[in-house]
Amino acid sequence: MNTRALKRWPGWVLLVIVVAGFLAVGATRDSGPSTPAERAASIEKRLACPTCDGESVYDSRSTAAENLRRQIRAYVDEGELTDEEIIGTIEQAFGARVLLVPRATGLDALAWALPAAALVCAAAGLTVTFRRWRREAALAQGPTDEDRELVAAALSQEDAAPPADPAP
Amino acid sequence: MRATRIAPFVALAVAVVLAGLFLVLLGSDPSDGETAETNLLDRPAPDVRGVLDDGTPFQLSRRKGDWVVLNFFQSSCIPCQQEHPELVRFVEAQQARPDGARFYTVVYDDTRENVEEFFASEGGDWPIVYDEGGSIAVAFGVAKVPETWIIDPGGIVRFRAISTVNADLLGNTLQQLRERFG
Repeated sequence: MNTRALKRWPGWVLLVIVVAGFLAVGATRDSGPSTPAERAASIEKRLACPTCDGESVYDSRSTAAENLRRQIRAYVDEGELTDEEIIGTIEQAFGARVLLVPRATGLDALAWALPAAALVCAAAGLTVTFRRWRREAALAQGPTDEDRELVAAALSQEDAAPPADPAP
Repeated sequence: MRATRIAPFVALAVAVVLAGLFLVLLGSDPSDGETAETNLLDRPAPDVRGVLDDGTPFQLSRRKGDWVVLNFFQSSCIPCQQEHPELVRFVEAQQARPDGARFYTVVYDDTRENVEEFFASEGGDWPIVYDEGGSIAVAFGVAKVPETWIIDPGGIVRFRAISTVNADLLGNTLQQLRERFG
């Protein structure tokens, strides 16, 4: 009986872990805005205040941000445009500087690509440099005891071998 | 030795990046210094609506057929106050022409009382559009005042000035645009 129970418990533990995982994901996962106000707020958080540095339209109290918030709520209430279309309309008027997160197309894509390229180059450069340092360090230390033993063994084998017959 | 071998490749990569940036700059639309940057340039103006000072509705698309000048204004803004005498001069010159442009002040975040008081003391006899809710400013991407926009008789945006303008600049720009776009 005890042996059977012991055999079964890993399955139960696994089941508990999976259920707990699903519950955690379900509880913390953002399922998107559920009311017009939440939808407007999610759009406002993606747009930069045109007259202040580093603040979103959602956070800023400036007149320009207030006008934008009012317009976004009007678009949301009309219900004709998607979030992307609302943002696109505002971007059309204010330019790409109004986007808090740059788009991944055209020249804006450089904002994503350049840091990634720089990271890859830096990693490659560090790998090459570390390898070179290791090799140089190994050469500077000279042969190890292991190397000496290998050479000695090879030499002793050579000495022990019978001399080859001279060529006729 | 290895560094000497790698150096040409690094130099080549840097040269390629610089050449790319040069090509991007070469291909970009050169600014002639006359109009401020906007995605709306040479595109249809947004069909904005507001309320005129006499209480009648204002709809930009119904002004097609005339050159239209919109000046975004706030009575407490110092550059707007400094610019105002030049606008008076510009409007007087336009009113003297049979094909003169229609000039509108678009009030940005201000009260009717303040604006009326300002015009009563500083002069200026042209229609004033109250942008209630700021929808006109948002449609044109205006975040600070003053700004001046010129829209051709076909309803296409032809010019944007950020900050102050003077009567000569505005008059000359309008004349050049008339010659170019009719």
